[in-house]
Amino acid sequence: MSAVAEQRSSFARVPAAFRLQFAVPGTMIGVPVLVFVAAWALALGIVVWVHQVDDRGADLAAEPIYTGASQAALWCLVFMAAYSATHAFPFSMALSYSRRVFVIGAFLAFAALSLGFGAAYALAAWIEDITGGYGIEAYNFDLPYLTEGPGGILSAGLAMTVVCLMLMLLAFGVTMFYQRVGLLAFWAALLGTVAVLAAAVMLVTVNDGWGTVWEWLQNQTALSISGWLMLPTLGFGVLSYVTIRKSVPASS
Amino acid sequence: MSYDTTGTAAQVRGVTRRYRSATALDDVTVGFQQDMIHGLLGRNGAGKTSLMSIVTGQDWPSEGEVDVFGQRPHENEQVLPRICFVREDQRYIDDAKASHAFNAAALAFPNWDWGLAERLISDFNLPQKTRIKKMSKGQRSAVAVIIGLASRADITFFDEPYMGLDAVARQTFYDRLLQDYAEHPRTIVLSSHLIDEIAHLIENVVLIDSGRVLLTEPVEQLRGRAVTLVGRADAVREITADREVLSRESLGRMERTTVLGALTETEQRRMVELDVDVVPVSLQQLVVHLTTRDPQSGDQEVAR
Repeated sequence: MSAVAEQRSSFARVPAAFRLQFAVPGTMIGVPVLVFVAAWALALGIVVWVHQVDDRGADLAAEPIYTGASQAALWCLVFMAAYSATHAFPFSMALSYSRRVFVIGAFLAFAALSLGFGAAYALAAWIEDITGGYGIEAYNFDLPYLTEGPGGILSAGLAMTVVCLMLMLLAFGVTMFYQRVGLLAFWAALLGTVAVLAAAVMLVTVNDGWGTVWEWLQNQTALSISGWLMLPTLGFGVLSYVTIRKSVPASS
Repeated sequence: MSYDTTGTAAQVRGVTRRYRSATALDDVTVGFQQDMIHGLLGRNGAGKTSLMSIVTGQDWPSEGEVDVFGQRPHENEQVLPRICFVREDQRYIDDAKASHAFNAAALAFPNWDWGLAERLISDFNLPQKTRIKKMSKGQRSAVAVIIGLASRADITFFDEPYMGLDAVARQTFYDRLLQDYAEHPRTIVLSSHLIDEIAHLIENVVLIDSGRVLLTEPVEQLRGRAVTLVGRADAVREITADREVLSRESLGRMERTTVLGALTETEQRRMVELDVDVVPVSLQQLVVHLTTRDPQSGDQEVAR
């Protein structure tokens, strides 16, 4: 074995770092898929039950019922992203990955999962659209504020992809930050963030700006929200890497 | 201290690592020669794990420099794939079974050998269906040892690898390590606070205490620093009268005494006359003596 090895690309192990996120097949794919399907079935079951116990019967069926069941898999994925920061990161150090390669691999994996979630969301919304909410006006995915803009269901899928990626990066970054700085500094940073938000709220209130804010929000579509959310997503990604660059892996 | 860097796998120069409340390493300079088994010895909390974390790029020095195969390891993908360091208390992906960890390791390490990994899995009787977090301490150690050996990384660090392993598993590890090292020479660093446990494996000793390197020396040379004499108490006492005694054990009329320094020819002749035997000195005794001696009297000899 010589001390001189051939020069290799510094990103040669990115595909391996990507696959590291799926090392235990159940956690990143199996569980979210299960949650997606189970929450969907549960929400439908509840709507059917509501119809049965309500004696207004046909009148009620004409009124669409909207549920938030579509979010369950989203939160599941966000939880998995935090797990990746606490468990996959220390393990990646034992596998001698640079933090940069680990982070690139993890973020690509999060992007792939978010795309998968967005696609599944759009597909489910499309099914609800063409079946009229399974014939009983029950909607878990085809929610008007997401699907009734330019681009329709596809825009909703895109928006959910971006929201999912943003929240995964946020969860990953916050967990990483917490591990790096400890409990006290973590709460200090959290309170600092709350203080900044409170100052922003006060600023809007003092300037009688709420009308403008609501107007702006109402004018947004799924498509434009996706665009705006790209900004914090990028920000969280960069902050995560800055945090992890000098993080020391915790042991078990 | 200066080192010849040719043939050096890892070189540490003037490294200090301070944490908020403590200094883990204090101006450490040490080289790990290539294709050799090194013992990184020291008491608990001496700085062994800190030093290994820094050499492997998992941590970084507050001051000083580290080179591994001539390059800085921190965030350096040119050299990191050639390094393997699984911690004694390594954290794995939650719910991972051993096979999941090995699959991930096979993707990460370019020299990974599945044949060796599978032999070791069967040698250690590692359960295939148990999740790592549900494993016993010994089984978890076996997972770390298997990743360390099968990665065939050019420089591999084992952090107290015998922890939790029973006597049979420990022997298996030592046998497989020597066997694979003979076939695929590489640089191996074993950390330990139980010195005699790994004394027969190592060729070079790096002794660290309170964050400082006390000595770095080939084992043979170190052993030559002292002798252990066994014989009748009066005979042994006669020969060792003017010597610095490291340890003395009496068993009835017999005595077993370890003294510093090699024997002169006169002493050797006298030993034959008095029927006193020389036995190999315990590395542990020697190291304990060298680390606990009064710094004022023995500084010259220890910190060469």
